[in-house]
Amino acid sequence: MGENILKINHLSKSFGSQAVLKDIDFEVSKGDVTSVIGPSGSGKSTLLRCINLLETPTSGEILYHGKNVLKGGIRPTKYRTHVGMVFQSFNLFNNMTVLENCMAGQIKVLKRSKQEAREHAMMYLEKVGMAPYINARPRQISGGQKQRVAIARALAMDPEVILFDEPTSALDPEMVGEVLNVMRTLAEDSVTMLVVTHEMAFAKDVSNKVVFMYDGIIREEGSPEELFMNPKRHETQDFLARFRNK
Amino acid sequence: MDKLAQLFTDIGYLWGKYAATYLNGVRNTLILAFIGTLLGCVIGFICGVLNTIPYSKSDPPLKRFFLGFIRVIIRVYVEVFRGTPMVLQAVAIYYALPYFTNGGARFESVWMASIIVVSINTGAYMAESVRGGIISIDPGQTEGAMAIGMNHIQTMTSVILPQALRNIMPQIGNNFIINIKDTSVMFMISFTDFFAVHRGVVGATYAYFPSAVIEMAGYLTMTLISSLLLRAVEKRLDGKSSYELVEQDQLVMTAGTYSYPSRGTPFDERSKEFAEEAEKQSSRGGD
Repeated sequence: MGENILKINHLSKSFGSQAVLKDIDFEVSKGDVTSVIGPSGSGKSTLLRCINLLETPTSGEILYHGKNVLKGGIRPTKYRTHVGMVFQSFNLFNNMTVLENCMAGQIKVLKRSKQEAREHAMMYLEKVGMAPYINARPRQISGGQKQRVAIARALAMDPEVILFDEPTSALDPEMVGEVLNVMRTLAEDSVTMLVVTHEMAFAKDVSNKVVFMYDGIIREEGSPEELFMNPKRHETQDFLARFRNK
Repeated sequence: MDKLAQLFTDIGYLWGKYAATYLNGVRNTLILAFIGTLLGCVIGFICGVLNTIPYSKSDPPLKRFFLGFIRVIIRVYVEVFRGTPMVLQAVAIYYALPYFTNGGARFESVWMASIIVVSINTGAYMAESVRGGIISIDPGQTEGAMAIGMNHIQTMTSVILPQALRNIMPQIGNNFIINIKDTSVMFMISFTDFFAVHRGVVGATYAYFPSAVIEMAGYLTMTLISSLLLRAVEKRLDGKSSYELVEQDQLVMTAGTYSYPSRGTPFDERSKEFAEEAEKQSSRGGD
């Protein structure tokens, strides 16, 4: 297990009186591929959005290399360049082509030269197999292709960890495979990933750590073997049983 | 029928005598409407961006106060200039300067005063249109931009506003066409736009109706042409409806991950290989 990148202590988040996350403790180390599973409404996505500061946690701390992100240890915009995010709904910039999508952040935020940004973007677009489509606009490509571009866009910022918020949930079944394959390749390249997913096969085969969330808390965590073969909590057992029956 | 012939004769007469004056009015009207709308858009976009700077309860009180203050100012500006007639705004602004300085300062040119009035008035409308345009963009776009580390200004200028601009293009067109017609009230501060020409001409000839016909035809021509141009601009903003697949990777050499060697260039590994091969073959053949 590598160096610790993110450490989350006692993180809580409530929307009004509704507590969505309750006292979450959790860490991400270099090279980890962590899958977060659990029923809908258990706070998985909120956890991810809190980590990327798209939601402001109610209390707790998020330590990035020991610096507390919530207490201004690092500027949020700078922090976000190190912690990439891939969304369920892709969120590609509709006013740009595929290539421009992958270049915009590099040029505006990382202040790379156009040439450098282009080379970098192309490298990752090739990795996800979207190099032929660089001139297309988001509305002209399929969901699976959009998600692959979104992954390339996140990679192009050279983040230390990429958060995936249900990356295949908005896709037609036949497109899920292409995105999962790309993620599998990334895992083989030991890109650090934190993946909220309903794809149990992916969680089982690709990740080296699985976190089961239930009702705003981390109910159980461990290696995929432990968690899938031998779940200890009955909530975990119930949840997994539903998937087995399918 | 006689009357109709008479009308054409009168119009012909007026046009023969005052064509240059009319055309000058057209020119002034178009310039004023265009610059006014353009600056109005700039004002609107600035207001829109300032209005949407996000702040939360956890921000320092000073920042929250400051941002709240900006929003109040913009609100007041919009309500005042949207809620009063432009003709009165023109009069008020034009005469306010000498009034407050006891005649010491006045607008050097009526152009300057007119442009200021039209811009500020259009800006008030545009501020609301831009706000609507920004709201209409999927919040996911903002999140996508924030997730790669863009700040508010970067998010706005490179992601949100270009899309908002496309969405409010019909509104901008509306404002431009309204401005072409409504700049006619600037005769109050003796700006010689197209309508002011009419007043001048009928003052000299009493040909009220024929001149009005010329004016209406003129305004209609201006607005119709503007509509056409605006449509064309919108089409351009939409971008190409198709795209080309890049079969041959354009960046093979720079990306360092080339899959299609560029044939026939000095970097062409493959043809070099063939060349060597061919050379070997030929030398062997020579033996």
